[in-house]
Amino acid sequence: MGVESRRVLVVDDSATMRRMVKLTLSGLANAEFVDAGNGLEAIEQLSLTKFDLVILDLNMPDMHGLEVVKFLRKHAAFKKIPIIVLTTRSDDAGRESVLAAGASLYMNKPFEPAKLMEHARHFLDVQ
Amino acid sequence: MTNDPGESGLHFEQFLDDFYVECDEHLSVARRAVLALEASLQQEVIDRGLLDELFRSFHSIKGLSAMVGLQVAEQLAHGLESYLGLLRKAQTKLTSEGLEALVAGVIAIEQVVAAKRDGAPKPDVTELTKRLEALLPSTAVNEAVPKSSAQGAPSGSTSTDVAAKVAMKLVDGGRAWSVHFAPSPAGSELGINVNSVRAELLQLGTLVHSEPRIEAGGRVAFLFLLITPGQDPPQFTMKEGLTVTPYEPASPVVESDAAPSATTDSESGAARGGGSTHLVPANLVRVDLGRLDELMRMVGELVLSRARLQDALQRLHDIIPSAERRTLEEVNLVIERQLRDLREGVMRIRMVPVHEVFARMQFVIRDLVREQGKRAALHLSGEETQIDKFIVERMMDPLLHLIRNAVSHGLESPEERIAAGKSPEARIDLRAATIGDTIVVEVEDDGRGIDAAKVLARAEAMGMAPRSTNDPAALLDILCAPGFSTREEADRSSGRGVGMDVVRRAVEELGGALIVHTKLGFGTRFVIHLPLTLAITDALIVSVHGERYAVPQVAVREVIQIESTSITTIENNELLTHHGRALPLLRLDRFFGARNRQAIAAHHVLVVGDGSDALGLVVERILGLREVVVRPLTDRLVQVPGISGATELGDGQVVLILDVADLKRNSRNRKLASTGERYAGGRHDAANQVKQTGAKP
Repeated sequence: MGVESRRVLVVDDSATMRRMVKLTLSGLANAEFVDAGNGLEAIEQLSLTKFDLVILDLNMPDMHGLEVVKFLRKHAAFKKIPIIVLTTRSDDAGRESVLAAGASLYMNKPFEPAKLMEHARHFLDVQ
Repeated sequence: MTNDPGESGLHFEQFLDDFYVECDEHLSVARRAVLALEASLQQEVIDRGLLDELFRSFHSIKGLSAMVGLQVAEQLAHGLESYLGLLRKAQTKLTSEGLEALVAGVIAIEQVVAAKRDGAPKPDVTELTKRLEALLPSTAVNEAVPKSSAQGAPSGSTSTDVAAKVAMKLVDGGRAWSVHFAPSPAGSELGINVNSVRAELLQLGTLVHSEPRIEAGGRVAFLFLLITPGQDPPQFTMKEGLTVTPYEPASPVVESDAAPSATTDSESGAARGGGSTHLVPANLVRVDLGRLDELMRMVGELVLSRARLQDALQRLHDIIPSAERRTLEEVNLVIERQLRDLREGVMRIRMVPVHEVFARMQFVIRDLVREQGKRAALHLSGEETQIDKFIVERMMDPLLHLIRNAVSHGLESPEERIAAGKSPEARIDLRAATIGDTIVVEVEDDGRGIDAAKVLARAEAMGMAPRSTNDPAALLDILCAPGFSTREEADRSSGRGVGMDVVRRAVEELGGALIVHTKLGFGTRFVIHLPLTLAITDALIVSVHGERYAVPQVAVREVIQIESTSITTIENNELLTHHGRALPLLRLDRFFGARNRQAIAAHHVLVVGDGSDALGLVVERILGLREVVVRPLTDRLVQVPGISGATELGDGQVVLILDVADLKRNSRNRKLASTGERYAGGRHDAANQVKQTGAKP
């Protein structure tokens, strides 16, 4: 048994966007990626297994990413998990509300791959 | 995959194909939502679900476009999204200008994306951009992220919201239920998860509300509020982790005022005419059509192998003891049936409902009608009809063309209609149905009809030598002649380089047929017959002078047996009286060049086509009905009139597949005497091509 793998949950309703994120982060050592296509699915995944990082889109059907952040931060088990909110600019929910709800970082799409990589590394290494 | 995508400036161009697919999906959702919005133009309250859905579609297109570096689409989507943002916050009212801009926006994004895909020049969108800007107050244009950030974000539904919503839905009857779902690793392994549960709930009734909850012990669960049409509790196929209780306004579902919640309003789903695209359950997979083609090809190989097995069995008939032979034959039959099931299974995977295409047509009609100052209502039927994805893709342009023609040429102006004693609002029907092994798609308008005399005059003026146009098939031949148009100048909407010739070619390349029915003053109906699928088909194997041919069973209306004496010859054309009508005959051996041989004595006639379009194919023997794997003749040099492709039979021999539509056309043109020899060489070239390249075992 080598190093325990680090699990990253990629939440976005766009499958293409999820693949872009995973490709960007494919250089992370020992990283394992899990997809979720909506907020409820993300919460279910997080409740079933342990994750080390969540990359979260905001504008999704059924449950807005902001509500996902609020829910996770209310729950003791998810309080510490780093959440990178990765969203397309919109007047829907801004940086402040997302950070106030407890997200670890707010990044805009289109994203700079190197930046996302850097932040993801940072949050995974801190743990 | 461990390639690091580099430092910066990466535009994810390798995802362009996925981008096109996803854009297409979002545009489909957007089209339906815009059309549904149109209905609520006059109303005080706009369905919030529709606005949210439309907002999300544009938002997703914006994000994806930005990622692949398609700024024009990004900016358009941004403008549309901003306008919807205002509508959502009720800061502005939906106006007809606004709606027009939404329609134009969807069309423009579609064009921009298509231009990128086809490597065509970018369409000019400056005018539209200005229109969009004019809809927005100056502050909203540049301020993508306003300081007051939470105003547009979804707020958690309060208990009163939910209770009110339930009360509203219950007006129409039915009963409300609280459905509690506790996910577990065991259930998850069985595929029971929040997505599959929700997908099932959507089947059972209207999902009013859904939210995650934290239970005692820190466990996560989900609560759904479902309204079923009947009074009985909903029955689930999977019960793992599910509890259903009758909903009471005071039940725990709604006491969590501050709890974050998600609202599902499937009412907008109903407004879109079914088909919930915004929820992509985990049990759906997107598959590259190429892989399905590959799978179908493999099924085709299996069909051929089985045919070889059957052939071998027949040859061994006298050698194998009868008991063993019977066992072998039974197994062979079982394999045949299983193969058929397998083929149908693969075919079903490739099928998509036609409603997506229809929604797009609806959009086009709406736009054209407005542009031309006409009035028309579109009636759709058979939207749930399933068609092969490949065929759908190929039919898109021809259908668009027929629709444009119907609006531009078919429909009169409201004034003309009133003068003709018709309702000022025209009617266009778009229908789809599965009939046996064929899909029938119809485009019908109740406009002015096609003036056969005018068409004839125009054809003569163009130097064509048309026959009488009393016959719809002959009329269609003229309409479908390359370059033919009754309009002096192609107008903007219809004259986009695709003529009726392209429409017919597209239909026939798919092995289908195009038919027109028209009545001057009353309207025109185009009927398209298409095969269910392309790769494997049932065909009658016939022979003439030892040459075998395959005739797609779909094309054959009737098989009759005749004597030579019942054939009458008029001016070199052979006719047969059948069902009280003169049925023109075509001798396959002569058509394909064997003119010097003796005419065959005993005949079977395969009747293809309907009414005046009917034709009898004279053959010597009918060898049976076989499942054949179609291999199209792709090499243009060996494309032969009357032949659409080739197939291999169990004995390894190559047999050509007749192109029935082409044969009918050739017969109408009555030039058989001179063309017979010309085709003779081609027939063998075609067979050789297939032997060498096409039919690898």
